[in-house]
Amino acid sequence: MGWRRHLVRLGSAACAAVFGFALPPSALAGGDLIIGISQFPGNFNPNINAMAAKTYILHMARRPITVFDADWRLICMLCTELPSLENGRAREETTSEGKSGMAVRYTLKPGLKWGDGQPITTEDVAFTWKVGREPLSGVTVLDFYKRILSVEVHDKRNFTLHLDRRTCDFAEINEFELLPKHLEAEAFAKPAEYRHRSLYETDTANPGLWYGPYRVTDVVSGSRVVLEPNSLWTGTPPHFKRVIVTTISNTASMTSNLLAGGIDYVAGEIGLTLDQAAAFRSRYPNRFKYVFKKSLVYEHIDLNLENPILKDPRVRRALLMAVDRKAISKQLFDGYQPVANSVVNPLDTVYDPDVRKVTYDPSAAGKLLDTAGWKTSESGIRRNAGGKPLRLQLMTTAGNRTRELVEQVLQSQWRDAGFDIRIRNEPARVFFGETVTKRKFPAMAMYAWLTSPAKVPRGQLHSSMIPTAKNGWSGQNYPGIKNTQLDETLDSIETECAPAANKMLWHRLQDLYATHLPALPLYFRAEPHIMPKWLKGVRPTGHQYASTLWIEHWRGNKGGGVK
Amino acid sequence: MTIQSGAVALGSQRKRMWSRFQRHRMAMISGALLLGLALLAVAAPGLEILLGVDGGRVDLYQRFQLPSLAHPLGTDELGRDLLVRLAYGGQVSLSVALVAAAFSAVLGTLVGLPAGYFGGRFDDILMRFTDGVISLPLLPLLIVLVAVDLEKLGVPADIAQSPNAGLYRIIFIIALFGWTTVARLVRAETLALKTRGFVRAAHAMGANEATVIFRHILPNVVSPTIVATTLSVGNIILLESVLSFLGMGIQPPMASWGNMLTNAQDLMWSAPQLAVWPGLFIFFTVISFNFLGDGLQDALDPRALN
Amino acid sequence: MIRFLINRLGGSLVVLLIMSFIIYGLIGLMPGDPIDEMIAANPDLTSEDVAHLKSLHGLDKPIMERYGNWLSAALGGDFGYSRIHARPALEILMPHLWNTTVLMSIVMALSLAIAIPLGVAAAYKPNSFLDYGANLISFAGISVPPFWLALLAIIIFSVTLGWFPAGGMETVGDGGLGDRARHMVLPVMVLTLHTVGGYTRFIRASMIQTLRQDFIRTARAKGMSDIRLLIHHALRNAILPLVTVVALGFGSLFSGALITETMFSWLGVGKLIFDSILGNDFNLALVGLLFATLMTLIGNIIADIAYTWVDPRIDLAAGAGRA
Repeated sequence: MGWRRHLVRLGSAACAAVFGFALPPSALAGGDLIIGISQFPGNFNPNINAMAAKTYILHMARRPITVFDADWRLICMLCTELPSLENGRAREETTSEGKSGMAVRYTLKPGLKWGDGQPITTEDVAFTWKVGREPLSGVTVLDFYKRILSVEVHDKRNFTLHLDRRTCDFAEINEFELLPKHLEAEAFAKPAEYRHRSLYETDTANPGLWYGPYRVTDVVSGSRVVLEPNSLWTGTPPHFKRVIVTTISNTASMTSNLLAGGIDYVAGEIGLTLDQAAAFRSRYPNRFKYVFKKSLVYEHIDLNLENPILKDPRVRRALLMAVDRKAISKQLFDGYQPVANSVVNPLDTVYDPDVRKVTYDPSAAGKLLDTAGWKTSESGIRRNAGGKPLRLQLMTTAGNRTRELVEQVLQSQWRDAGFDIRIRNEPARVFFGETVTKRKFPAMAMYAWLTSPAKVPRGQLHSSMIPTAKNGWSGQNYPGIKNTQLDETLDSIETECAPAANKMLWHRLQDLYATHLPALPLYFRAEPHIMPKWLKGVRPTGHQYASTLWIEHWRGNKGGGVK
Repeated sequence: MTIQSGAVALGSQRKRMWSRFQRHRMAMISGALLLGLALLAVAAPGLEILLGVDGGRVDLYQRFQLPSLAHPLGTDELGRDLLVRLAYGGQVSLSVALVAAAFSAVLGTLVGLPAGYFGGRFDDILMRFTDGVISLPLLPLLIVLVAVDLEKLGVPADIAQSPNAGLYRIIFIIALFGWTTVARLVRAETLALKTRGFVRAAHAMGANEATVIFRHILPNVVSPTIVATTLSVGNIILLESVLSFLGMGIQPPMASWGNMLTNAQDLMWSAPQLAVWPGLFIFFTVISFNFLGDGLQDALDPRALN
Repeated sequence: MIRFLINRLGGSLVVLLIMSFIIYGLIGLMPGDPIDEMIAANPDLTSEDVAHLKSLHGLDKPIMERYGNWLSAALGGDFGYSRIHARPALEILMPHLWNTTVLMSIVMALSLAIAIPLGVAAAYKPNSFLDYGANLISFAGISVPPFWLALLAIIIFSVTLGWFPAGGMETVGDGGLGDRARHMVLPVMVLTLHTVGGYTRFIRASMIQTLRQDFIRTARAKGMSDIRLLIHHALRNAILPLVTVVALGFGSLFSGALITETMFSWLGVGKLIFDSILGNDFNLALVGLLFATLMTLIGNIIADIAYTWVDPRIDLAAGAGRA
């Protein structure tokens, strides 16, 4: 083995020779920070094409008006204070069409500037709204902008949004992505061409497009984005001379690059999956800092309630009882992805700690199936009186290794309970494009969705949201649950904003969900951040708004400190 | 060399081939190795009984076990016996490769032989078509075909949804693109045979086209086809692993060496043995098929007779 | 000869046209769209938004109509915008094409530089130790799963030894020739190991055939030295068929090496085309695939012309050049 050590030493000597001169003597304040992510943002216009990779990068260079912080509370980023009925910034009104609506007033913080020195004003707000509600411009969340009936500009810093409905989350305008009117107006002259002519695509490094602590200075499409400090930023001064976000799509390459020093930090938002990170940690427990942040990604199995077997609530309950979700969480995810009991995350403010929890109980599951008419047969697969086997198809996205693993565990555990589970997976675009959205899965579909804190799951649970050919496959109630109590709860939860009453309704919602089980809750995901020990100040969020919204607080020097 | 398809010469010819093959040491070793691998694959259920394990049963508390008497190669990330899984994976990988290669050979012969024999305009059209298929960029098209909705193409729902549908699809796709090599080879061989003495003699003796094709041409193009097919089996095994790498190969819970290797990538730091074994199985299988093909070529190549 | 060229080029255009239709149709046959995947990843996106975006990208129109529109624009020289990148498709393709060409040309040159001497040496003394060695290396290179080899190379040379970077094309802020070369070492090594075997075996086979021929025997009988004989007579004859093989492989220079590009984060055409197909980016996928096809067709034509050098008896115009 001696020769190998010798080789290693030789290698590091060669490295020192090559790098020694190339690198400047370790800079005092902030050198480079190289972050690895697994996808490259196709485009850079913040309003067009929602994509986690893009959000992650753009949050370093732009800020939303309001957003959820790392504790999942709504805060102001560009505004001075959150509107509420109490502080008079929000009031109920009647829309021009005679419906009930709302008026919500915001004030922009003083001294906000685009990266080219132009002030950020309400003009930009009004312009953004115009772009946002134009169907031809290709904005992703058109529906969100359309909910704003008009933007009333009071002066350079004050504006009022007139909303077409009354909800409790009126203050939340996280998706309102400001655009610089002085730069983008020309590209928007022809709305249909806006998505190609926007300066965000044609001149991404233009400083005027950015107003965060960093600004984009270089883009190599498909490979990396370089960000440098924005000299006009007025908040906490950013620490790093350069932030380089590199895309490495293959997991093994990503971890190799981390070990070889090609990247410093694998972002948890869009890097590895938790099981990959946990496996990596078991090999290198002390070399990096691991932060596994519980997130709002809800992993579950939608049950097709029209399936003759799954129609029976006893079978649905037995399915849930027959799997040891705790063991899955503990063995596959080191306990970092906690068992889910309903659609609401335990860390969410509206979570009800008393929600009905189903624990692993195979014998109870067996009894339940017996009473439902599914008796054990010789082969171990249960059959009903007509001799039909208890056979169900389980589907998920092909190529998603974590889901494939969980799927096989479930299949095996359900087999022990007498279910014959057939697995059939499809590529993600087929699965989401056809099978799930058009409710073509015969029995079970495993996937996840991302929610935001206290987000009412109306689209997923209301009976009016069952996609059909008639309504153009609109809505996300894929299981097809129709329950009047659930509908009523969902209807009133959006408008009943008094804390006590609202809490009651959330309690009811979770109880109904856990009782009727339109889906089998599996677990909430966690985002695994693998960072160098010297990096300080990173606060993962666990929701769709990335930790990079607070990147100016990130500190640390490569090679600094320990020696 | 005159009419050589007579039965008298055949026996001694086979003997000579066998002795030539025996001289190719690597081919002999490879043949033995492949036989062993095939036996392992076939014996998978027996292996389960012998070891007293269930290859499909997940045990979350037995993950990443090191080799022991109960698990000669240890267990995988879901606590399943690695050796048993490799054996089942071998069933899938080997049968996909063999069946797809056989289909390709048949298709290729069906195109190449008439093209070479009848020639002219007919040959021109068939060969242009072959050229067209060869110039298709293979991998991207595979990807599209893997994702295409079978039911949209009119495949009955019960086939499209069966657990083996993925298997059939991959075999079909590979055969669809794999026949061109054999087609060109068979055509060239037929062109050469057409002018040979024994074919002309058969024509002169009044044999009809069918007799000439089936009695005189076909038997003589079999040898090069066998060689080409043997070589392609190895390539198909590699292709299957590449498809798995792209998430488009054989789908779990069905094991194939390709998807086992791909899945092990994520665990390469914590459990490298999970990547080493399927990788070695693929490597040795493919290299063995290559050596075997090489040996067969030496043994069967009629030019070596001169 | 000129008539032959015109014929073949015309034929190639027809093939391209048919190909464009096949590709368009096949991509269209893939159900679903990336827009559908967005809805699970964004709580603020509604089904109405999805439907709207689909119609904006024309996905709700019949495939034939969309193909017709594409074709008429493409014939006018407008290959459209890449949907993923919001930039003209050609503008996105070009840098990737350049990266792939650089990588693959080096691989091809290196493979030939290794394969020719190795193949000649193996043919000179068949069944020698060297012949066996060459054979083993050739077969081993062809038989390793490509991503496994890449992984092995990364673990050994970048993680353990730290000699070369594990991926990417340049260090930010450096990007000098030396830096780029260092990034290229591992992908070139992996790809070369894969291609060198085929060439070596081909050269060995054609050398052995040449060495058996009468004129070589005569030259040898006349007492010509072995080296002279090998280089001046045998190799010259054996190398011509090689030219055709290289020409046939010409197209693959431009279709990239998906696996290697993915493993080493190399910005090549292979990965670009792959992602564009999966992303329903019709314009980009078509431009990339059609270019690769065109290059393959040109390679075939060059190969056919090369045949006439090998064997002047072949009459190209008669179309009998393809054996």
